[in-house]
Amino acid sequence: MVKRNAFIIGTGITGFGENYEISAGKLASQALTRAIENSKITKESIQSTFIGSLVSGSNSQASIGANCLRESNLKTPYVRIEAGNASGAAAFHQAYLGLLSGIYDCLAVVGIEKLSDFVNVGIVERILSSTIDYQWEFEMGATLTSLYAILTKAHMREFKTTLEQLAKVPVKNHKNGVNNPIAQFRKEISIDRFLKAKRIADPIGKFDPATYCDGSAAVILASEEFILQNKDINSKVPILGSSYASDNLALHHRDSLTELYATKTAAATAYKMANIKPENINVAEVHDSYPIGEILAIEDLGFFEKGEGGRAVEEGLTDQNGQVSINTSGGLKARGDPFGATGIAQIIEITEQLRGEAGKRQIDSINYGLTQNVMGTGALTYVNILGEEEVKK
Amino acid sequence: MEPPKIWREKRGKYLAMGVECLDCMTKQFPFTENCVKCGSENVNEYKLATTGKVLYFSTVTQTTEEMMGSTPYLIAIIELDDGIKITSQIVDCNLLEAKEGMNVRMVFRVLARNGSEGLIRYGYKFAPI
Repeated sequence: MVKRNAFIIGTGITGFGENYEISAGKLASQALTRAIENSKITKESIQSTFIGSLVSGSNSQASIGANCLRESNLKTPYVRIEAGNASGAAAFHQAYLGLLSGIYDCLAVVGIEKLSDFVNVGIVERILSSTIDYQWEFEMGATLTSLYAILTKAHMREFKTTLEQLAKVPVKNHKNGVNNPIAQFRKEISIDRFLKAKRIADPIGKFDPATYCDGSAAVILASEEFILQNKDINSKVPILGSSYASDNLALHHRDSLTELYATKTAAATAYKMANIKPENINVAEVHDSYPIGEILAIEDLGFFEKGEGGRAVEEGLTDQNGQVSINTSGGLKARGDPFGATGIAQIIEITEQLRGEAGKRQIDSINYGLTQNVMGTGALTYVNILGEEEVKK
Repeated sequence: MEPPKIWREKRGKYLAMGVECLDCMTKQFPFTENCVKCGSENVNEYKLATTGKVLYFSTVTQTTEEMMGSTPYLIAIIELDDGIKITSQIVDCNLLEAKEGMNVRMVFRVLARNGSEGLIRYGYKFAPI
């Protein structure tokens, strides 16, 4: 077990969607400023800023932290961390390690992506293609969607998972998203819309993938000592486990296409760090960029037996207050997917659940929550486990 | 599509040359200086089998800009007769007639064109036998 000395003390998030009037730096600054206000600390307390981003935005600014910090009137050192679609969780993990190292006591983590600037057809598809094997998958004609189509077919063939079961994933997530004020789509969608949509890479239909958008999310992390010294801090959510694992980049190099090995491995370590079992998790935010992503996640995280994911979703076991509530925020599907911001948005949803601040999305009883953030087709997965909020006496 | 990159990858993409480890006898693709299984440097270039069967495929109708002109097309994971698995397109095949388990052979085709003035990128694809 790892020493419990890393806590989330504040969160901040922008609306997810199309924000044509705001630059990437400004958007990141909005989330960061909100997180600082929410944590009741002075901004001078922040010792360093970890920024998670895949491409940031179209202004080609590599160290997007510079823009963000200038907008926020902050002068901390900063680093941008890239781990494909899992960049947000990667930045969070690095900040977590920073706290545990004892070098830092208070850190900011910001996830940011600004994708609405890319208006030309195919540009974001190309960006996404950088998260699969560029040389031996993408250049041979594969897209991220077509590889998820193959993962879907493999699961359907092996476990008789049906298109109806798969469609229940986005149906549920859109239903959850209605209650999320920052979600891109706050609207329920009928199962027929998914089943009857044009196929973009069969069996994946036009409405199945999560949509990319603009958004930023930030959290402030602090050590126990820092919290004791800062009397205004009124909430701390402990980080009990944080781990990541990798797998072969190309699908054709993997032993199995019916499981995400990196998810299983990262989860095993995170459960061990937290000293809990999968059945102890009450709520989880998982990477549902495609319906099969959520089904593989709930199996590989150990919530359901391998092959039972489709049935579990169909029977409502993953609904709000089901056996385990999955994607109460609406997931990537309804909340929208600004790549680098997604991993942090997942952590914010679990933090709000643990603080009892999730409004209509709040689940009835909660001890532990988990997040799973995936790069590409599962070549890299980050898993975080958060525990019950400890309110300062 | 940068010329040095196309030139560097020509043995893999034009000739489908992989690697065979002379210590553990594993055949692999693409070429690496070390065996990815046992780490040995004792490796030889190896020509992939040119026939195999389709394990999984999908019909792509939405893709990146440079591939847009080719849609709809078939993308597949193919297991070659020597056991190596690769991702490639299936061509010369009616979309509705593509099947898992279908026998295919390697053919040499245009992969993508970079506008009307850029380089043409070539490589292997597969056709039904």
